[in-house]
Order: sequence, then structure tokens, then C-alpha cells
Amino acid sequence: MSPHRQIARHTSKFILDYLLALPAGCVAALVWANTLPDSYYRFARAATFPVNDIGMVFFFALITKEVAEATVPGGALHSWRRAALPVAAGIGGVAVSIACYLAFVNAAGEHMLAGGWVAACAIDLPGTYIIARLIFGRHHAVPFLLLLAISADAIGLACVALLQPHGDVHWVIGLGLMTIAVGAAAALRHRDVRSFWPYLIGPGVLSWWALLLGGVHPALALMPVVPFLPHGRRDRGLLIEPAPQAHDPLTLFERWWRFPVEGVLLLFGLVNAGVPLHGLEAGLWAIPIAALGRPIGIVAAAGIAVAAGLHLPSDVGWRELVVVACTAAIGLFFALFFATAVMPLGPLLLELKMGALVTLAGGALAFAVARVLKVGRFAR
Amino acid sequence: MPPPRAARLLTTLALATSAWWSVAAQPFTLPSLPDSVKFAAIGDAGTGDPPQYDVANQMTRFHARFPFDQVLLLGDNIYGSQGPQDLIKKFSLPYKALLDLGVTFHATLGNHDDPANLRYPPWNMGGQSYYSFATKNVRFFALDSNKVDQKELAWLENALKTAQEDWKICYFHHPLYSDGGTHGPSVDVRVVFEPLFVTYGVNVVFSGHDHIYERLTPQKGIYYFIEGAAGQLRKGDTRRSATTAAAFDQDESFILVEIDDNRFSFQAVSRTGMTVDSGTIQRRSVVR
Repeated sequence: MSPHRQIARHTSKFILDYLLALPAGCVAALVWANTLPDSYYRFARAATFPVNDIGMVFFFALITKEVAEATVPGGALHSWRRAALPVAAGIGGVAVSIACYLAFVNAAGEHMLAGGWVAACAIDLPGTYIIARLIFGRHHAVPFLLLLAISADAIGLACVALLQPHGDVHWVIGLGLMTIAVGAAAALRHRDVRSFWPYLIGPGVLSWWALLLGGVHPALALMPVVPFLPHGRRDRGLLIEPAPQAHDPLTLFERWWRFPVEGVLLLFGLVNAGVPLHGLEAGLWAIPIAALGRPIGIVAAAGIAVAAGLHLPSDVGWRELVVVACTAAIGLFFALFFATAVMPLGPLLLELKMGALVTLAGGALAFAVARVLKVGRFAR
Repeated sequence: MPPPRAARLLTTLALATSAWWSVAAQPFTLPSLPDSVKFAAIGDAGTGDPPQYDVANQMTRFHARFPFDQVLLLGDNIYGSQGPQDLIKKFSLPYKALLDLGVTFHATLGNHDDPANLRYPPWNMGGQSYYSFATKNVRFFALDSNKVDQKELAWLENALKTAQEDWKICYFHHPLYSDGGTHGPSVDVRVVFEPLFVTYGVNVVFSGHDHIYERLTPQKGIYYFIEGAAGQLRKGDTRRSATTAAAFDQDESFILVEIDDNRFSFQAVSRTGMTVDSGTIQRRSVVR
């Protein structure tokens, strides 16, 4: 292999391993929006639908794949007792985040922003994963944090799907099409179809139309379909690369779509993260304030859950839990997604987006708290 | 040193006196023809503080000579808490004299307004964040610049396309062009509104948000006014540029407009009654 190809391979592996495509897209968007705003906003307007409503389908499919695999024996979500504590902590985090968000917009007189509360639910999966790995390395705190984040984001996605209609709503047609889509996916699974393509082309496309017509964000289209793809018997862990010898359809699906999804994330950052660095109202602090309240909700809910008889994972004590909760303050990607899903174009959306970007500072907060509490890499 | 209450009274008296003399002293530039369309525009007004009341009183004084029957509210009509008492303190009371004279208000909402106020009867929004109404040969389009969705754009395109009136005037909170130093233009909104304005021949656009008065040089044939200083004020916030036709950021202000046939006359007036800008726009040309 030539040196150039080796460098390219290593670079792309580094980007994949550290999920850097999204931040790269965000930086490019910020530079573009603040130097040539007219052309940026024209581009963003034209690219929003193909990226947010079509491309993002595959990102959420990969997230669903992680969750589906986590429910098999050995998976992080297998047995309710194992999953209950991070789920409870996630619910606590969401509740306090939303309360902080609404209290801030009311106190700041930014009443128009109240409708964007769903964005306060968001915990960024790639961002929290990177920070948690940097602080803890391979540690039980990392899957705990990811489960917590998935729980919070699932609540947000449910709110986006059910409470915030997307365009014109035709419930009956949407529900009918979704029934056919799920039925077709079940039939493919029943016939043990081993290629993932029929699942995407048939039930996947039907599901996309069903959500679009039903007023639900179509980016969630593969979420009801992916669980029907045949998968391996044991899970290696959340966001862990599949075993090389694994050839089940769900693993093949992940291998095929991993690189394109990195491209989608780059485009997502480019299309959605372009905000002016000057001239925004105080409303931009709504999401960061919500993110600051989230660790309190997480720790409090975990405390209640432990008092009710649940157990923290091994190696995760209260100090680790506090650091995990601070890491969960990062809302970046999911906050951007939720913001664009619930708020139409305009200055309010820009404020929410800027707030989503500001939550990246949650990473620094987590490092600082980990250092003070002597947790993870700072324990030595 | 006089006690604060006495000082406030003295200030109010001084302002009232100077305002009266100002109205008398300043040239009144509007033709005030009997059958013309007459209206005022104010934005970022609803503080409930003395400057808002001063502007409202000045508007009432001008009404005696220029009997406008409509006021465009350009958003941020109520700041802070928005309960029934606030609506009284920050709207009904300051504009009581105008309301009693039968002047109707037509609002668009800003980022500080409570969406629930779409149904506040004196603002005549009918529960809609965007709507249109006509007076003689002028059609007004009140738009929602806070959240611009496909429905609003489709509605706007159809409403502009089917409008039969000579003049098409749009108003909304966030300016598409602005030399305000604090906020500046909302470019993301501009890329969706402006193509429709240009295609369907919008003549004049009013906005608020930046707490100054500004008139911009025509952009793609459209005249833009910013009046975001009818209660709030950011002194010295104007960053003059090639697009600044006129600006005033030293005191609160409001705009009076008269449209007669093809002539659009405007006069921007300060809180103390000083005329800070005036002129005439012929449809597709301006004469100063």
C-alpha cells in the first residue's frame, strides 16, 4: 500500500473512531455562515430536506441497530434490572432539563422559544462517547452513559414523533402504510431473508412515506424496520465494532452504511450548524441552561432508583456517576436534530442551534469535574 | 437635590412642554389629504416604561393634525411578563387615547411576545401569526419572521400573487436588511422572503428588532424601514454603511405614513416630536 493511501486509511479510521465528521461539518458551517451568509443559507435551505429527512434515516438506523443488539443476551439492555437504572437516570435528566429550559425562557422573556423544549431532552451520543472514552477508557461507566443518553434521546424522539407534527398530517394513510411496512418486514424476517437490501427497499421506503404522511419526522423511518433484521446471538457492547467473523444481516448492514453515514453526519453539521456568531438574543442560552440542569436530574433520579433497590454497575460509584452526568450535558448533534425537527426556519431556530453548539462545553465541564473528583484517567 | 418623585414630575413636564413646542415648531411634512391611507408604525414598544408612554403621547398629539386610523405593531409589543395587568400597563394604558379615538392596531409578534397574544383582541390578529388586510389601494401583509415554515411561504406567495391593490406593504419583526449594531440583518429569513417580495412587487417593508430608526437605500427595488425604538432604545447602535439612507438612534421614535395614489409619504418622529427623517416614495422611484 502506498504511503498516501496508508495516511488516507489511517485518517479515515481516526475520523471514524473519534466520530469527527460531525464536528468538521459544524466548523465548516460556522465559517461559511459568518463569511458568506447569503450563499450559506441558500445552500442550507436547499440541502435540509435531502440531508435531514433522507440521509439521517441511516444514522438513526445504526442507532436502532445498537439498541436492538443491546437487547440480546449479554447486551447492555438485556434484562430490565440492568437497563432500569440508566433509563431512570435518563428520565430524571430529561425532566430537569425541560424544567430548566422552560424556567429560563420564561424568566428571560423569550416566550416564543417555549415551543422548542424538546431540544432540551437531547444528549449527544457521539460527543458523550468520545469524552467518556477519553476520561474513563474502557470502563462500565461508558455503556452506562450511552444507555442513559439513548433513553433521553428516545424520549426526545418520541416527543418529536408524537407531539410535534411535521408538515401536513394524514394519520389514517400514514398508519395504514406503516402497518403494511411492519408487516412486510416481519414477512421478510419470517422467510429468513439474509440480505438487508429487501428490508430497506420494501418496508424501509414504505415506512418513510408512512411517517412523512403521518406528520412524524421521516428520519426515523428505519427504526421500526431494523429490529426485524436477523442479528447475532451476543452483543459485543454499544458502539463497539462488530466481530470480523460476524456475517449476520444486521452486522452487514452496519458495515455497509458506516462510511456513508459519516458522510451524512458531515453534511448534517454543514447544513444545520451554520449560525451567526453575532446578533443572537439571550434565548441562545436556553439549551445550555437546560444542559447544566441535566446532571442534577440524572444524579437525583439515580439516587432515587438506588434507594428503590437498583444497583449501580460495578466500578461505577457516586463520583463516577457525577462525571457521567456532567458528560451528559453535551447536546450537540441530537440537540441540533431536535431543534430542526420542532422549530421552523428563523431567528429562534438559530438561537436553539447556537445553544446546541455551546453545549460542547459540557465536555470541558466533565473533564474539570473528573479532575476534581479524581475519576477515570485522573484517578492515578 | 429635588426628591426623585419631584424630579420625575419636572422631567415629564419639561418633556411635555418641549414636545408641544416641537410639534408646533417642526415642519409637518405629510400632505394629510382627506382620502389618503394614513397609518403609523411602531416596534419594540411594550416596555411599560416612561419612554413608551412619551412616544404614545406624541403619537396622539400628531393624530390631531394627521388623523391616522391604523397602527402597525412591528413585534416585541410586550416585554417581560405578559399577564392581563401587563397588557394593560404595556399596551392599553399608553395607547388609550388612540384606542379611544378609534385607531385600530394590527400586530405582528416579535421574539419577546407570548404566542398566546395572537388572540389578544386589540391587536386584530385573529389568532393567526401571519395574515393580510387591505385599506383602499394598499394591502398589508403581517408576517411571522420568528418561525417561517412552508405553510407561511405558500400562503404568502398566494396572497401576494392574488393581491389586486396598487401598494403591497409587508411588515414583520426581524429586519432583512439592517445597520443595527446589536442584531443586524436576518439573512436566513431574507433568503426565503426576499425572492417572493421581488417576484410579486412588494413596495415597502417595515421591521423592528434593532432598537433604532433606520431607512435603507432600496434593495432590489424595495424600500426597507426599521422602527424598533418605540419603547426600547439602543443609543449609538447604528453602524452606518452604504445601505444607510437615514438613521436615528438618539431617542425613541415612531413613523407616520400617508399613501395617496402612487405617492408614499413618510415622516419619522422622535419621542420629543422632532422630525428625524421624512420623504416621499413614488412607486418605484423616490423624491426627496
